[in-house]
Amino acid sequence: MNTVEEILDYAIEQEQQAADFYEDVAQRAETAGMKKILLDFSEEEKHHKKILQSVKNDEHKLTPEQEVLDLKISDYLVEVEVSENISYQDALIIAMKRERAAYELYTDMAAKIPSSHLREVLIGLAKEEAKHQLFFEAEYDERVLTDN
Amino acid sequence: MSLKDLLSPFFVWQRAFEKPYTTIRPTLDRPGAPAYRGFHINITDTCVGCGSCHEICQNQAIDMVAVDKYVGRDGDSGLRPRFDYGRCCWCGLCVDICTAASLRMSNEYAWISEDPDSFHFTAGIDEKPWQDNELGYRRAEGYHLYPPKRIEMELLPPEESVKSFDEVTLGYSEEQAKKEADRCVECGICVATCPAHMDVPDYIHSIRDGDYEKGLKLMYRTNPFPGTCGRICTRKCESVCPVGILGEPVAIRWLKRFIVDQVDKKDYKRILDEQIENSDFKVAIIGAGPGGLSAAYYLRQQGHAVTVFEEHESAGGMLRYGVPSYRLPDVELDKDIDHIISIGVDIQYNTKIGQDIQFEKLLEDYDAVFMSTGLSVPSSMRIHGEDHKRVLSGLQVLADVASGRDPGIGKKVAVIGGGNVAMDAARVSRRFGAEVTILYRRRISEMPADAEEIHESQEEGCKLVQQAIPVEILDADNPEQVYIRWGEARMVDDPKGGRPRPVLQEDRMHTETYDCIISAIGQGSNLDYLCKEMQDKLAIEWGRFTPVEYQHTTLDKVFVGGDFANRTADAISAIEDGHHAARGINRFLNPEVYLNAERLNAEQLNELTGEMT
Repeated sequence: MNTVEEILDYAIEQEQQAADFYEDVAQRAETAGMKKILLDFSEEEKHHKKILQSVKNDEHKLTPEQEVLDLKISDYLVEVEVSENISYQDALIIAMKRERAAYELYTDMAAKIPSSHLREVLIGLAKEEAKHQLFFEAEYDERVLTDN
Repeated sequence: MSLKDLLSPFFVWQRAFEKPYTTIRPTLDRPGAPAYRGFHINITDTCVGCGSCHEICQNQAIDMVAVDKYVGRDGDSGLRPRFDYGRCCWCGLCVDICTAASLRMSNEYAWISEDPDSFHFTAGIDEKPWQDNELGYRRAEGYHLYPPKRIEMELLPPEESVKSFDEVTLGYSEEQAKKEADRCVECGICVATCPAHMDVPDYIHSIRDGDYEKGLKLMYRTNPFPGTCGRICTRKCESVCPVGILGEPVAIRWLKRFIVDQVDKKDYKRILDEQIENSDFKVAIIGAGPGGLSAAYYLRQQGHAVTVFEEHESAGGMLRYGVPSYRLPDVELDKDIDHIISIGVDIQYNTKIGQDIQFEKLLEDYDAVFMSTGLSVPSSMRIHGEDHKRVLSGLQVLADVASGRDPGIGKKVAVIGGGNVAMDAARVSRRFGAEVTILYRRRISEMPADAEEIHESQEEGCKLVQQAIPVEILDADNPEQVYIRWGEARMVDDPKGGRPRPVLQEDRMHTETYDCIISAIGQGSNLDYLCKEMQDKLAIEWGRFTPVEYQHTTLDKVFVGGDFANRTADAISAIEDGHHAARGINRFLNPEVYLNAERLNAEQLNELTGEMT
């Protein structure tokens, strides 16, 4: 990936893949309640995709300089399996970990890329993913860790 | 008549052109004394509309009226005092009793108006020139018409309490209860906030009168667990008690307990004297916790045949298997439950729906079904090593103890969590002689546990470590022990106004070895007794129900209540859910009766409104 456009296309594709992933899990979920939650997650990813498309169209700017809070919840949670009777807690863990992995991917790419302009774009994308991670971590903090 | 007499009225007119001998207006250059009891001022933002001023006024010069600026909410009736200066004698009692110290008097005493109605005004709402007067009568600082401090409940000393499961709170004496009851201003603000809308002012009044039987009857109107709630209620009522604004709120919970303690269990039947005419309807209830049994009591009162299905060998749900007996002795819980059973409620113990009887079978056999199975599944921490055999759940430890089993906790215990289950598990562990450390992710002030529970756990020797985030559990050298790694947290404010969030500081990690770790971070529901299709039909989200009107679900016959159907997850809310569902089920079973009654009520209301206008 040598151009901003290529990087953004890749990121947009990743968001679409994430949306597809949640839709796929939703199809397999046993209860209507969980199906709805997973479809909501999928919609969230589509929303992320739209933001990146608007960045590509110069309608929106990435904010590489923005500090994003990392609650570090997902770092210490065990990996969970996707299953038909997935719980809300596990769905959130999967979502947090996916966002974290994306953040780390863009951060690593930024560290390796020589062009400072492209680095800025990758850091901006990493910050976007960090925001998404914070969204799911805050939800986990609020709904799962009720007595903690 | 002489000519002079005839002409004299005309001479009087001469006077019309002379300078008057009287003043047209009173002189206004003599201000009232600095502490003069003049016209009223009310700081309406501070006022909570408790109506104490209205109650105390001997001239009936104060009415509580609705005003546009305020609406009723928890802790504020939304009403404000309206003064009738045709009646007021400016005695200042209203100022002396004002629970919020919002009412005062200005030193203004002259008010000229040709409109007699204007002397009837709502202080602080109707604009008056004296509203901002600095001078005038104020209640002297520290002067109260009722003692600002509550009568302290006597407790077992902590060094004694940790030695047994004896009840920690010892109860009020009659003298103490009457003194405490005298602090109540009978405003009723608490009634609106109490989830069960208990008639608090009247049952407290019954203590003043020494009529405890009346008090008991009043409580049973909306709550068939008064003995239980008199001990472990989350007492939302006290959090809004206006007496608590300038002092400590009335000890409503302890007064409720006092009434129950005065009445012998064998007299309940005679006093409550439920007159039951049997109906032809049958209702099934799943779960004999506070929600299920509350519904059972009020449904049975309506004459319906009620069968409660309970998977355990005893009734009470979390009240028996979750709340330790030092807070709620079994004998006191049984006093409430036995009366519910005594009016003809049938409880099928050791019967698990979905296993012994299918849910669908209940739908076939009964006219309505009420589900109240609570939150019985401990939430998982999902951290590495959580499946270690020395990691126990708080709920399991409490259930073991309640059932007389040894929870096997060892002598050095870490409890993870900050809710009531965590505090109970910690205090129970102390009673088994363990050294206890509570690890909580946030600060003490953010703990969801009852403040009293937190305080008492510390008094009993539990060490509370706040801002501690567990990250990993590992094998210890001794297989009967476990090793935990936790990190310190820094707190970050939530920009959206939620609870501050703890952020792990990875450079501040700690490790410690314990005999066991008790996890108590939250609970979820177990809905395995409902097949997936049924769960879909019941529109369950995140393991919880969102009932519509009268606790009804999306299924015709099915009603829900209790912890898995409300946001508060406490006994009093479950009790109200049960009562509310009982009303809903009655409406469902007798729609015509209720619709007619509602129509009649509406007609009566219309008539009344017509008469008033």
